[in-house]
Amino acid sequence: MENSTDDYKIQSFDPDSQILLKTALKDPSSVNLEKVCSIIVDQSLKDVVFSKEAGRICYTIVQAEAKQTGGNIFRKHLLNRLQQEFNKREETRTSSLQEWVCYVTFICNIFDYLKVNNMPMVALVHPVYDCLMRLAHPDALTNEEEVDCLVLQLHRIGEQLEKANGQRMDELFFLLRDGFLLQEGLTSMTRLLLLEILEFRAGGWVLSSTAHKYYYSELAD
Amino acid sequence: MSHRSKGSRSDAHSLETDHRSSGPSRWSHCRKRGIDGNLRANSDDDADDRGKGHAHSDSRHSSFTTPESAGPVSRCGRPSDWGSQVEDEEMRRDLHRDTQRRRILAAEVTHRERKTSSGSSGSCDSREGDNIETDEAMLLRRQKQINYGKNTLAYDRYIKEVPKHMRQPGVHPKTPNKFRKYSRRSWDQQIKLWKVKLHAWDPPAEGCQKGAQEASLNDELDELDLGDIMDIELDFPALTESQNAPLRVHNSSVQDQDCGGTPVKVQKTEPPEEADMA
Repeated sequence: MENSTDDYKIQSFDPDSQILLKTALKDPSSVNLEKVCSIIVDQSLKDVVFSKEAGRICYTIVQAEAKQTGGNIFRKHLLNRLQQEFNKREETRTSSLQEWVCYVTFICNIFDYLKVNNMPMVALVHPVYDCLMRLAHPDALTNEEEVDCLVLQLHRIGEQLEKANGQRMDELFFLLRDGFLLQEGLTSMTRLLLLEILEFRAGGWVLSSTAHKYYYSELAD
Repeated sequence: MSHRSKGSRSDAHSLETDHRSSGPSRWSHCRKRGIDGNLRANSDDDADDRGKGHAHSDSRHSSFTTPESAGPVSRCGRPSDWGSQVEDEEMRRDLHRDTQRRRILAAEVTHRERKTSSGSSGSCDSREGDNIETDEAMLLRRQKQINYGKNTLAYDRYIKEVPKHMRQPGVHPKTPNKFRKYSRRSWDQQIKLWKVKLHAWDPPAEGCQKGAQEASLNDELDELDLGDIMDIELDFPALTESQNAPLRVHNSSVQDQDCGGTPVKVQKTEPPEEADMA
């Protein structure tokens, strides 16, 4: 069951941090978990590629700690750090769009991987929705970066989110429809992405084969 | 059951009085409430608890009280930090799962009983229809106390050493049943007794006399206020019989016990040779 640590995409970390992370995966009680958490979160906010998969390494560390000591220190630090960043998300968005996008990607990834008794963490449902709603606002829809992030997250966790809170998903999609239909100045790429996600959800979080052909036929398989 | 509790109630009173005259018991400063049921002021009674074991009991008693997290957290409202929210959520789900299991087990036993129509069995939970604790807040609190006891190296070693089917009642500690109705004091006392018994499986540590360890454990067992236990479980019979048993039986496995330390699951001091987390 040993995943090669390459699976966690930690190559972007400096060598010392890589060693720390590898140790944390094997022997969590021997490292400072707060520091490990800090390193992971900081990197997630900088590195777009890592933020998409950081949930996995977090999940493994949480499991390892639970198995070794029964504790959940790492998880606690992780969640509280996520909360801190959430509380200043508007600031972050203003100062660095990329960091904002990384944050949303990261928190959604955590939502996807870190389950409690195989159920998504209820505490994260509203914050995730808040982030996605922000991405669906008119001023965000004009940025392809943000739209791209939005549709990616919905593809990955939309179904789970809807199960957790259907009403908020409805509200989110009101915004998306409005944006698609009414907002001027959207690029055709943006409109394509929005149309695809509208169809995706309408199809029960699955794209029909014809729709798939329409949207993805030009992509290499 | 009621007969016994009535009897022990009058005993309780006289025992308490006896203890009172010699000062608060070693355990009293671990308790939130005094005998009258009111919350204790923190330092008043602690100040009285001098005597040979005070310094010792300080380091000792931290292992018997529920270790607090980062300060009092209101359990009535939702905690505001995500870390605590998720912990609570996890505990609640574990509790629901336990409750489900229990309902299934109880139903099974009732079913079996109807078939055989045998007499009652001591651990049969099905006839306790109205003796089942259902208050979620209470169950959560009890589960938390149990978790503290189970998150110890001693407990780990215990369950590895003694498989469940080999447990002898009275000799081997048994986790208190959170689904049964007990008074708050009775429950807290059971938890304490359980944890005391678990100490016999503390990992060996350097520089401590085995004799001192046994002596101090014996002292503590002596000073336990048995009168507080209104409802004594079958598994916790008269302590005089059983208190020496775990110590005798496990003499060989209990080398130099750590008498000052808390058996709380601490960080391992050296990384294990086999770091196999797979």
